[in-house]
Amino acid sequence: MKYIPTIGIECHVQLCTKTKLFSEVDNDARQKSPNSCVSPVDYALPGMLPRLNQDAIKLAVRAGLALNAKINLESRFDRKHYFYPDLPKGYQITQLYHPIIGEGYIELPSGGKVRIEHAHLEEDAGKLSHEGNYSLVDLNRAGTPLVEIVSMPDMHSSTEAREYTKELWRVMTYAGVTYGDLYNGNMRFDVNISIAPEGSTELGKRTEIKNLNSFRSVERAVEYEIKRQTKLLEKGEKVIQETRGWSDATGETTAQRSKEAAQDYRYMPEPDIPPIRLTERDIIEQKGKSGFSVFITRTFLREIVPEDIVEVLLDYPKLGWKLMSINSDYAEQYRGGDEKGPSREQIPEIYSKLKKIANWFSSVLLAEENASLLNDELPSSQQLIDLVEMTEKNELSSTAAKEVFLKFFDPEMHYKDTRTIAKELGVIQENDLSALEAIVDTVLAKPETTKAQADFKAGQEKVLGFLVGQVMKESRGKANPSSVQEILRKKLS
Amino acid sequence: MDVDEKQIAHLAELSDFALTAEQSTALQGNIKEILTYISQLDELDTEGIKPTYQVFEMENVWRPDEILPQEADREQLLALTQEVQDYQIKVPKVL
Repeated sequence: MKYIPTIGIECHVQLCTKTKLFSEVDNDARQKSPNSCVSPVDYALPGMLPRLNQDAIKLAVRAGLALNAKINLESRFDRKHYFYPDLPKGYQITQLYHPIIGEGYIELPSGGKVRIEHAHLEEDAGKLSHEGNYSLVDLNRAGTPLVEIVSMPDMHSSTEAREYTKELWRVMTYAGVTYGDLYNGNMRFDVNISIAPEGSTELGKRTEIKNLNSFRSVERAVEYEIKRQTKLLEKGEKVIQETRGWSDATGETTAQRSKEAAQDYRYMPEPDIPPIRLTERDIIEQKGKSGFSVFITRTFLREIVPEDIVEVLLDYPKLGWKLMSINSDYAEQYRGGDEKGPSREQIPEIYSKLKKIANWFSSVLLAEENASLLNDELPSSQQLIDLVEMTEKNELSSTAAKEVFLKFFDPEMHYKDTRTIAKELGVIQENDLSALEAIVDTVLAKPETTKAQADFKAGQEKVLGFLVGQVMKESRGKANPSSVQEILRKKLS
Repeated sequence: MDVDEKQIAHLAELSDFALTAEQSTALQGNIKEILTYISQLDELDTEGIKPTYQVFEMENVWRPDEILPQEADREQLLALTQEVQDYQIKVPKVL
């Protein structure tokens, strides 16, 4: 029998506010010493009151807009009680009944669509490390604002699950609401999965795989779980509804806690935080602050480079934004003062410039030893625009341009302008015709070229290459080969 | 309103308490008393009344996103716990 998997994903996104959701301490706990970003509120000392961070609300609105979602003008917080050492209060402040973000959707690059059921704001819990017979608690992360995005069960394969999580990462990083640092747990995924016989109208019993922190582990865990559940059903056994953990090392999921001890969170309205009431104006304001979305960037990049390259470039939000902003710079330049944008004829011209830039980046990204360069500061728009101009004027060969481009990432060079870097590298092509003619004359005066000159005049075309080579050598690579050829033909005719 | 042993056991588990048989019986009595007291509220007719989230009509009580110095530092906070290792709070094994 053929079984169809059904997958829904909950994603926790840590927002990149300066301070935590309810306390005024540093929210960026990456590489910080344990319990150094902790206030009495996070520590849940008796009598401490949560103080809501307004920017967390703003970023949540921006996240909602990026999810094409309805923003609920009124939202509230609730308490979810559970007893665990990573949560000193004994309850988590979350939004059960009135979440800030309503229904939305995400379009996948391959064309599919995953609907968002809702998304809500809540506080993160601390981090537990399990040692032999005890555990250690670090509360740096406790109180970090999270947006939990709950998808509808719209996915039906491990590839789709991976594509969704990756696209969600892009959507959130492009929206600028999270650092998106997966290694440090800025985004974590819980995957719900069940299988049912093809054609069945009812869904099967589902399991939940908690706390996956990479796209790859989402894909592998789903693959494993589909196989495991299929085997059970084929043997006539049942899938138990339970929470399972994933191990990257063994490539398996294992039962963590069965729903036997059913969760009883005793939700209640949070009395310490009054409701949030937003206006349409608040939402428009956040719309204005949202940069280029991943959707717009992808649509634009597809105009200038092949699709597979588009997906590679999109993995670097800063790069996507850079290309978009250079496009605006060019559009501005072509507009030439009047209100109209570039004309229909000018657009292909602008695109060919951007294509050059995109190709320099993708050639760097495709060579693995260089890919990490893009995590550092990117070249400035001016450097890139100048580089395009110098290649268009034939001052730089394509090899030379690439060489200069790489120097933009060199800590010794990156602050210099393009022409200075090209000069220091000595790669500017000689285009000045009189200067070139002088070099050609020097070469033609050399006895070792006499025979070649005679051969060429006698009709041997291919010795021209040798002569061009001699001129190039004389110019130390700076001559423009096609101009040299032209001058040689003229002089030897 | 009756409270049985099973409900007490469930509550104890949610709070991670280990109760002796005597404690459990005593709590059955105590909690029953509390619930009976609270259930006086049931006498009121609440038909058509909206749920009260809060009694002060406040909205949008929030603060700017700025890091402020805290009144208690890590050393003071960790001093309140029983056992500390590498600046972390040591607790019995969980999970």
